[in-house]
Amino acid sequence: MSGLRSFVARRLLLGALQTVAVVLLVFALTEALPGDAAVALAGDQPDPARIAAIREAMELDRPAWERLADWAAGLLHGDLGTSLVSGRPVSRYLADGFGPTLLLAVLTVALLVPAGFGLGVLAARHAGRPVDRLISSVTLAVYAVPEFALGVLLVTVFALRLGWLPPTAVGYGADLLAHPAALVLPVLVLLSRPVCSLVRLVRAGMIDALASPYVAQARRYGVSGARVRYTHALPNALAPAAQQLARTVDWLLCGVVVVEALYVIPGLGTVLLGAVAERDVPVVQGLAVVFGVLTVVLNLGADLIAHRLAPRAGVAA
Amino acid sequence: MKHEDEKGADVDAGRSVGVHADADTDRNVGAPADADTGGGPVAEIRGLRVVVDGRAIVDGVSLRARPGRVTALIGASGSGKTTTGLALLGEYPAGAHVTGDVRVADGGRVGYVPQHPAAALNPARRVSALLTDIARAQVRRLPVRQRRAAARDRVLRALAEAQLPDGEDLLRRYPHQLSGGQQQRVVLAQALLLGARVVVADEPTTGQDALTKSRIVERFRAVAARGIAVVLLSHDLDVVRALADEVVVLRAGRVVESGPARRVRTSPRHAWTRELLHGRTESTGPEEPATGPPVPRGREPLDDRTESPPPGAPAGDAGQPVLRVRGLTARHRDGARGATVVLRVPELDLYPGRSLAVVGRSGSGKTTLARCVAGLHRDHDGEVLLDGTPLPRSLRDRSPTQLAAVQYVFQDAHAAFDEHRPVVRQVARTAVRLRGTDEDTATREALTTLAGLGLPEELAHRHPGRLSGGELQRAALARALLARPRVLVCDEITSGLDTLTRRGILDVLTALVRDRDQLSLVLITHDLDTAALAHRIAVLDAGELVEQGPAEVVLTTPAHPFTASLVRTTTRLTAGTVT
Repeated sequence: MSGLRSFVARRLLLGALQTVAVVLLVFALTEALPGDAAVALAGDQPDPARIAAIREAMELDRPAWERLADWAAGLLHGDLGTSLVSGRPVSRYLADGFGPTLLLAVLTVALLVPAGFGLGVLAARHAGRPVDRLISSVTLAVYAVPEFALGVLLVTVFALRLGWLPPTAVGYGADLLAHPAALVLPVLVLLSRPVCSLVRLVRAGMIDALASPYVAQARRYGVSGARVRYTHALPNALAPAAQQLARTVDWLLCGVVVVEALYVIPGLGTVLLGAVAERDVPVVQGLAVVFGVLTVVLNLGADLIAHRLAPRAGVAA
Repeated sequence: MKHEDEKGADVDAGRSVGVHADADTDRNVGAPADADTGGGPVAEIRGLRVVVDGRAIVDGVSLRARPGRVTALIGASGSGKTTTGLALLGEYPAGAHVTGDVRVADGGRVGYVPQHPAAALNPARRVSALLTDIARAQVRRLPVRQRRAAARDRVLRALAEAQLPDGEDLLRRYPHQLSGGQQQRVVLAQALLLGARVVVADEPTTGQDALTKSRIVERFRAVAARGIAVVLLSHDLDVVRALADEVVVLRAGRVVESGPARRVRTSPRHAWTRELLHGRTESTGPEEPATGPPVPRGREPLDDRTESPPPGAPAGDAGQPVLRVRGLTARHRDGARGATVVLRVPELDLYPGRSLAVVGRSGSGKTTLARCVAGLHRDHDGEVLLDGTPLPRSLRDRSPTQLAAVQYVFQDAHAAFDEHRPVVRQVARTAVRLRGTDEDTATREALTTLAGLGLPEELAHRHPGRLSGGELQRAALARALLARPRVLVCDEITSGLDTLTRRGILDVLTALVRDRDQLSLVLITHDLDTAALAHRIAVLDAGELVEQGPAEVVLTTPAHPFTASLVRTTTRLTAGTVT
């Protein structure tokens, strides 16, 4: 067990370094972009004197490394800094955007897990027969469609043609739960590809597991079919699926920019898009920190789950 | 003849035995004797015929399993043993056409202990998972609250009956945290928990050393003593000899002979049975003195030069050793910082044209030694010298000449070949890669070598999947030989093969050392019979080199207590008098 603890410690240390690297990279790239917050604020009055004045007021005339050092010093005290554009604390931005994003992610995962595992097990159970062919070909086809294309298609059909659902979440504010109809299309789009990859992974793992001698042994000793499938075979098919699931959750929590932008949902993706457009460096950096930490923690969690599911493999890092 | 259970009542024993008789008419002699000792059969197969793709893999097989008796199905690989055994469980190969009669008394509960017990245990679940599921089905009648405790009691009792006393602790472990013996006992406990009246054991001793084998024999003897009928599928004649009450000899899906074990052993009636037993028959039977050494078993030593033997003087006619091991200490790293020393060999020499057997139990460090020599295990101190020059520790740092000089043949021939390319191309590749031969010459040389080892051209062009284990092992030998090695390391290359195939491979090795003057052989084995073919024997126990010397000396007058116990167990097992 101490091996596992040192593995977790090493991974967390490595994760912290990775997050620092991501923040540095994001900072450097934002600096490298043409224009800055002053230019963005000046808007349609790009008078050089005015821009210089704004720049001085925002302390953007100081060297880049000084601004970064200030921000990092603040971070150590838990202060993510303030937005250049609005002057509001970055943490407020994050808190506001996190709600809708988390809501979408939770809904998506809540549907993704039963659908993915259920369809995967179903396909494996009927491997090679029509049910399996149907599931396999549909999942492959859907997986090949990018989110923005599917999103536009769904809006066109269900919102514009049939008028069943609102096309976007415009006007509903951050309280999306009060307007569930607005969530249907985004959740469907978010589900589409993860479900397909999960189904295919579970199906492949289950086909192997169902053909294994230990499943044969459980069957010949009279364990019921469903019990064999879900408690004896499925645990062996879970390890790769768990990793895939962690990547999906990470992808969802880090704000799926395309989907949020398409359905105008005020989540982290929208915050990120706005901050980059306005060159609001502290907000972008704050988001980078949050995304980095989320990614590290989720992947570590997935590795621990995989270790639990495939105890033989041991841990490596 | 009495039958205790209803289902067996309509069985006519005389006719059932008569099915076996093809030419002999006096086969019924055995039947009355059986009736005296055992009860009615708890399982019976009559005239079983299993046809897959128009080919009969089992053809007219009949057998009966009686309570408390061990019925052995013996025969070479592919003779239909496993298909017959699984028929008792109601399992048949996919797409098989089955005719005949399979009856199992009393609800048809049959236990199965497969060849690799580890494979029958779920790697992702604790040992308790399947055991609890089996027990759960038996406690349905109890009130809900008592079920869990009752199921647990049953599980623990079954584990204790399978000689696993520390059940509580064991149940929490994963299969990979158990030893091979514990894994087998857990699988056995599943059968006992099920209340099986018949247990089918498929090759339970394959690839095990003599001490482990004798424990497995004990285990199944205890199962039979509980009144359970054991059906033993095996090509390991030693174990059949030690365990079986009844023997059914299979060849190509047909029964060639059957009867009481002792009768079949001492006076086999069919030529095939004699061939299967050949080379061992003269020393069989319980009459053999239990202390006799297993060496002079009528088999040829690897090399007839042994007749002017080198005992005591390893240098002899051989000159400088080709390979020397000095001060070797090998470690295995587990996890982040732990490193365990798994092998200490202060000094070991191999002379040109000679063979050295490295003997020891499973886990004694034999394979690690071979891997150090071959450059597959880097984590060691000390030196491995080829012609006085130290070999780099890692394979990667060795020159093509050094790589060619030490060749390795692995235990699992199927895993050692790429299944997507014809065998001959993989064999020829060695010459191209290590000796710089051009493709055509290499292919011609490969075909000649393969033919020399008994693999005709037609087989050589096949893919590995379409060759048998024995054929593939010959191909693996040919592949190693194409490098023109100085030292050929054979790691348990005959374990897992049936008696006849094994003898074939050992004959090939004998011929190799005889015909190729400069070739030296390292035989890694747990089987003293195989080791007896070598000139010298080195004995490893728990990673320590405990004894080395000329084969006859080590086997007849073992100096170390461990060697002595190894020799004794082998002899006892062979004599069929395990106590």
